[in-house]
Amino acid sequence: MKAPMLKKIAAGVVLSVSMVGSSFAAECIAPANPGGGWDFTCRTIGKIMYDIKAVDKPIQVSNMAGAGGGLAYNHVVAERGDDADVIIAASSATATRLAQNAYAGMTADQVRFVGAIGADPGVIVVAKDSIYKNLGELMGAIKANPKSVTFAGGSAVGGFDHLKPLMLLQRTGYTDIKNIKYIALDGGADAITQTVGGFTQAMTGDMSEIVGFLKAGEIRALAVLTEERIPGFEDIPTAKEQGYDVVAVNWRGMYIPKDVSDDTFNMWADRLQKVADSKEWKEAMVANGLAPFTKVGADFQGYVDQVVGEVRELSKSLGVIQ
Amino acid sequence: MDILESLMLGFSVALTPFTLMLAIVGCFLGTIIGALPGLGPSNGVAILIPITFSMGLDATSALVLMTAVYYGAMYGGRISSILLNIPGDEPALMTTLDGYPMAKNGRAGDALVLSGVASFVGAFLATVGLIFLAPMLARVAYQFGPAEYFALYLLAFCTLGGMSSNNQAKSALAACIGLGIAMVGVDNSSGMPRFTGGSLHLMDGIDFLVAIVGLFAIAEVFFFIESHGKASSIGVKIEKVMIPWKDIWHTKWTMLRCSLVGFIAGVLPGAGASLGSFLAYMSEKSIAGEEGKFGTGVPKGVAAPEAGNNAAAGGALVPMLTLGVPGSGTTAVLLALLMTLNITPGPTLFSERPEVVWGLIASLLIANVVLLLMNVPMVKIFVRILQVPPWVLLPGVTMISFVGIYSLSGSYFDLLLMIGFGVLGYVLRKLDIPTVPVILGILLGGHMEDALRRAMVIADGDFMYLFNSPISIGLWIAAVVGFIAPMFLRGVLKKPQRITD
Amino acid sequence: MISDRIFGLVVLMVSLAFIASATQIQTSFLSDPVGPKAFPMLVGGIAGLCGLVMMIRPDPDPQWAKGRTLIALFVAIAVLVAYAYALKPFGFIIPTAIAAAVLSYQISPRAGPAALAGIGLSVGLFVLFKYALDLGLVAFPKSWFG
Repeated sequence: MKAPMLKKIAAGVVLSVSMVGSSFAAECIAPANPGGGWDFTCRTIGKIMYDIKAVDKPIQVSNMAGAGGGLAYNHVVAERGDDADVIIAASSATATRLAQNAYAGMTADQVRFVGAIGADPGVIVVAKDSIYKNLGELMGAIKANPKSVTFAGGSAVGGFDHLKPLMLLQRTGYTDIKNIKYIALDGGADAITQTVGGFTQAMTGDMSEIVGFLKAGEIRALAVLTEERIPGFEDIPTAKEQGYDVVAVNWRGMYIPKDVSDDTFNMWADRLQKVADSKEWKEAMVANGLAPFTKVGADFQGYVDQVVGEVRELSKSLGVIQ
Repeated sequence: MDILESLMLGFSVALTPFTLMLAIVGCFLGTIIGALPGLGPSNGVAILIPITFSMGLDATSALVLMTAVYYGAMYGGRISSILLNIPGDEPALMTTLDGYPMAKNGRAGDALVLSGVASFVGAFLATVGLIFLAPMLARVAYQFGPAEYFALYLLAFCTLGGMSSNNQAKSALAACIGLGIAMVGVDNSSGMPRFTGGSLHLMDGIDFLVAIVGLFAIAEVFFFIESHGKASSIGVKIEKVMIPWKDIWHTKWTMLRCSLVGFIAGVLPGAGASLGSFLAYMSEKSIAGEEGKFGTGVPKGVAAPEAGNNAAAGGALVPMLTLGVPGSGTTAVLLALLMTLNITPGPTLFSERPEVVWGLIASLLIANVVLLLMNVPMVKIFVRILQVPPWVLLPGVTMISFVGIYSLSGSYFDLLLMIGFGVLGYVLRKLDIPTVPVILGILLGGHMEDALRRAMVIADGDFMYLFNSPISIGLWIAAVVGFIAPMFLRGVLKKPQRITD
Repeated sequence: MISDRIFGLVVLMVSLAFIASATQIQTSFLSDPVGPKAFPMLVGGIAGLCGLVMMIRPDPDPQWAKGRTLIALFVAIAVLVAYAYALKPFGFIIPTAIAAAVLSYQISPRAGPAALAGIGLSVGLFVLFKYALDLGLVAFPKSWFG
């Protein structure tokens, strides 16, 4: 009775082994729970790569939430150092945290940044019936009485969303930033809800978070933090043209492990470029309020280093880090 | 009438043979995912998203499949709660309280059918609510600021007073353990880590799934090893599975009330279905009073949380579709799916993409009917689980729990934590300390603290801000009159039963 | 009686330690009116009070496991911990089979069926999770295949 059963089981083991050997699809790690920006990056870019045949197997997305991306970063640095089949979603938040030393001492040169192919422009918005009609009025009110305005944002205190209004105020020569009120919510949509509900006076976040509310006329965008006005949203003025020289975009991109060959690096850069050029990605960008922002390949690493340096300086001058 | 017209549009999209097949497959997969400990609706839906891509499904079909999985998992969670005292996912937590005692009394079949019907009622009413009230309810979220949320979470904690029968200190302690655990990780309001000991693994805090699976599944295995299977439901003789018409009829008002409570909890972005089932159970318990014998295996105690959590699952779709605010972990994943399909939820979704919204609503109704039809006959198969010999079943449950938790972050750290929670759960239950408040503390503790601190930032530290709106005053009154006062009055009206023992 | 008293004491000590470590929490440059310390200290305080109540008014003692049952419980914990560490380096199939078999043996001490249960569960669950649910499990370490 027992022997044939054992044989069957043994056959099963062999079968499962041979099946495993043949199925090495590339993996995209989203360093957060499903539903966030990194998850979106992995799923959308992964899907398009497969749809436009840049890869021959669907890319498997795995979520590795922890430490604001730090756990995935650590995992890649420590355990996947030469894995050619893994890409990891990254964004400005990754650079911000690296700059603020929030990944337990790990640095930006421990991985290779492949590229970014879209950016979510920073915005400052108020409810539609707000008394503030432009950025100048809002900033003026804060300077006159910092307690009169509370900002709502989707990132923790000291995070990218929090830095945006602080940078704007810094440009006006206002230095007493400890008085600026900011509450951290669980996401951009939450932050808007609180602002529309009148609990907070302004919201700081990304373009993609406000598109639906903007169309419905629930909110008024005071400024977008880009060099130029964004296609499709030409009626929103930039902060720059209102006299506040702040550019803050949340780019969406990828990094790969450090010890892969240059060929592998170029292969992923090439695939990413193909996605950037595809009409599917252009549609996805429009639908999600992303602005074109393509930096792929070798010069992207330089860009990331520069951003990390800037944010570090800024965080120091703001007192976010020592 | 344009709602009817829209609904017809929805059904015309959702009622093709292919989508119907997807709904059935989704319901089946969802039920299994829900029943497996460690795999809840949110990671269930996340796991299956790549399948929709590799199958090349269009937006509507993908949504039909995913909502079927979502509702299926909400149904499925109750199965292991009732049969094994192991909640398949967090919303099914409260179902263990009366479902498992019912199974131990040999009424597993009744409990499963009854909870299936209650799930149907809750989900159906919530879908109806979604159809008629969604655009209006979207405004409700605008009425809830930090002060209101704080009062809401406070209400949830106050109901804990009615949780344990004879030792209030023990349930309060359990809640504190949960709250303490919730403090671990980066503090949102200061950006600084707390109680992490510098470990990266603890920066994002402790996942409540790890705690649930440890406190329930792993602890259950320890208990089984200790008792050699005595005093458990495994192997209990089960009578023939019949539809318990009498119980269903007797619980009709419970189901209706709990659907309402659950739906409201779901509509508010917060803890979603878990809060829904918790508030539903506790309010029914206090309505029934001492004679209700909640906690000993009464039908109302099974119907209440299931109607509540399924209604909350439907309710959570309201803020997701109309505001793009995920009301729960699962809706966060569904939201991600919508975004990948280039559909941006928000106030304009109903007018811009009616075929998507109404297709989704129609598929919810279809999935719900499919689930009811699928679940009642399948109860006969589910109860067989109890006939599996324990030396296969318990290692099986353990291994499933490990895989479920391992899939969260792929690290051994969560597994070790889970084992730790297993030991903790074993000790707590030995000492008659309830474990449900621990989970509640973990789920809601962080939200409660955040809400209070946000309120204080806005109000510059003025505590009167907490009583600033009719909604928050109402919630405070409900908390005090409904739950805190009776705790003390009970002692005045009746002599305490046990002073020293 | 004594169980509750000991546990109450443990709770009290842990609460005090919790409060003590709460005072060490870093505050950031921008502190809100409540701050990151208040809530943990409040929770620690209430938990400590509950511990005291448990020491003053203990419930009757439960039956604790003794002798062989106690050993069986410790073996089970040890196996689970070892399993947690083994999953990554050794892949899914082998550690799962061993852990499941040992647990099975703990419940019903018959070697044959326990081994079968271990292997059956390991392979069965692998197929279920990998192919039906598409989880990213690794059957055997990649390095074994060069």
